[in-house]
Amino acid sequence: MRKTYLAYLIVAALATLPWVVGGRYVFHVATMITIMIPLALSLNLMLKVGQLSLAQAAFMGIGAYGAVLLTMRLDFPPMLSVFAGGLLAAATAAICGPVFLRIKGVYFALLTFAFGQIVNLVFQEWTSLFGGNSGIYGIPKLSVFGMRFSTTQHYYLFGLVFCAVCYVALRLLERSEIGRIFQALKEDETLSRSLGSNALAWRVAAFVGSALIAGIAGGIYGFYIGFLSPDAFTFWLSVDLIVMNVVGGATSVLGPVLGAIFIVPLPEFLREARAFQLLIYGVVLIIFLVLIKDGLVTLFERRKPG
Amino acid sequence: MKNLLDVRGLSKRFGGLTAVSDISFSMKRGEIFGIIGPNGAGKTTLFNVIAGQHKASAGGVTFDERDISGYSSDAIARLGIGRTFQAVTVFKSETVAENLRRANVLRRRHNPLAVRSAAASEDRFRAVASFIGLGDHLDGVAGDLAYGLQKLLGVGMAMLIEPKLLLMDEPAAGLNPSEKREAGTLIRRLRDELGISILLIEHDMPLVMDVCDRILVMSQGAKVALDTPSEIKRDSRVIDAYLGDDYDFA
Repeated sequence: MRKTYLAYLIVAALATLPWVVGGRYVFHVATMITIMIPLALSLNLMLKVGQLSLAQAAFMGIGAYGAVLLTMRLDFPPMLSVFAGGLLAAATAAICGPVFLRIKGVYFALLTFAFGQIVNLVFQEWTSLFGGNSGIYGIPKLSVFGMRFSTTQHYYLFGLVFCAVCYVALRLLERSEIGRIFQALKEDETLSRSLGSNALAWRVAAFVGSALIAGIAGGIYGFYIGFLSPDAFTFWLSVDLIVMNVVGGATSVLGPVLGAIFIVPLPEFLREARAFQLLIYGVVLIIFLVLIKDGLVTLFERRKPG
Repeated sequence: MKNLLDVRGLSKRFGGLTAVSDISFSMKRGEIFGIIGPNGAGKTTLFNVIAGQHKASAGGVTFDERDISGYSSDAIARLGIGRTFQAVTVFKSETVAENLRRANVLRRRHNPLAVRSAAASEDRFRAVASFIGLGDHLDGVAGDLAYGLQKLLGVGMAMLIEPKLLLMDEPAAGLNPSEKREAGTLIRRLRDELGISILLIEHDMPLVMDVCDRILVMSQGAKVALDTPSEIKRDSRVIDAYLGDDYDFA
């Protein structure tokens, strides 16, 4: 228990690090971390019902394009667009979920992979709306209460707030009756259903929630980066999110947070050794899988066996 | 009053294999109804079809005056058919109390939009724990309990959905003689004190003959006989199909 507070302290200290080190580039990396943490958490939510989703990058893309286009084409206020983009991703999940989630395990993972590829293809090919591979330029800045987000710091602060909201929401969920239901469905679905639980409805609910989080993160990303192209939302991003959950520890809500903090800056440290970047990435993953099986979070939390 | 359960011409085929073939029977309210037959006779498959885990290939099931053919297993559970499994099925790494809490919450919040009736659930699971005799084991981890107690926990969890009918798949398998007697007592108490009708698959003949009002005998997926225990004991078809000439009904 006490050690969890140590982890919180370390995360809080790391969150203030950009101001200590300073520099626009450091703030950029930090902002990307605050965008990836909610995405890693959105995948974690699906893992809580025992399903591996490879659709999170697609939901991020739907949120990003949706939010940016609502503002650029329909003059929605940017902040409203961010949440509307999240709702768009959630609505997509609500429509696809009842079909997708009849299928479980490896097949669900493959299905969400195919879904991600199709969504990405739509971004590439529907050029009149999404701008194709040349993307969308000239995206305006976010603003809140009339204050325009003019520097990276503003986005970083906003990202931190969203991370905190997602983290607290998932922690409360985990401790609530719903957390108990998810755990039961994940451990033994046949038993849970024999006790009356509508497993499909609960899995769809988790899918919709995870798409909402991913979609909002996408909207923040779109307005922050100021340029959208399909290759920001490929299958490989979904893979990165899995890596963050594995490295951080998927059994805990804190795990994906630690994973994102560790994985997102990694390429920046390896910039000098560009040729070896993938190799080192792979070696790091192997080290984690072998030595710290249940992730960084086990350094701070004692997990129940099994 | 109408029958509690009507099984009409139920068949289940897996590819070319017919596991259950044209089974029909009815259960009255408050009845303890046994299903016996050699291994592979299709008893558990029949259970799985009634409980909605498998879709029937032909035939139908009416429960409590409602045609439940084709309903999902969770919908059937919510209508009031509880079940226990042949193998122990509890959440092994959790405590007895947590298992019962889960059973309670899974039923009460059966889907994300289900209304939360804040019933005195804590009292309810304690009452169930003491009914099945696990009142003193609430903090024990389910997987560490003796086999017989884990089976009792499975019954307790099924009780929390407040079933009208409980399907019990070999409740006495793997129990020692005194535990078997207790299982028989528990089955009777479920019916007599709580009014739960019981559909029972069991290999332990003394137990079946003792507690059941009527017995269905199955062999190779088909019905061999359906009668009271005393008649079943005398039925030559049953003895041929299952019990053997020298069977002793101790």
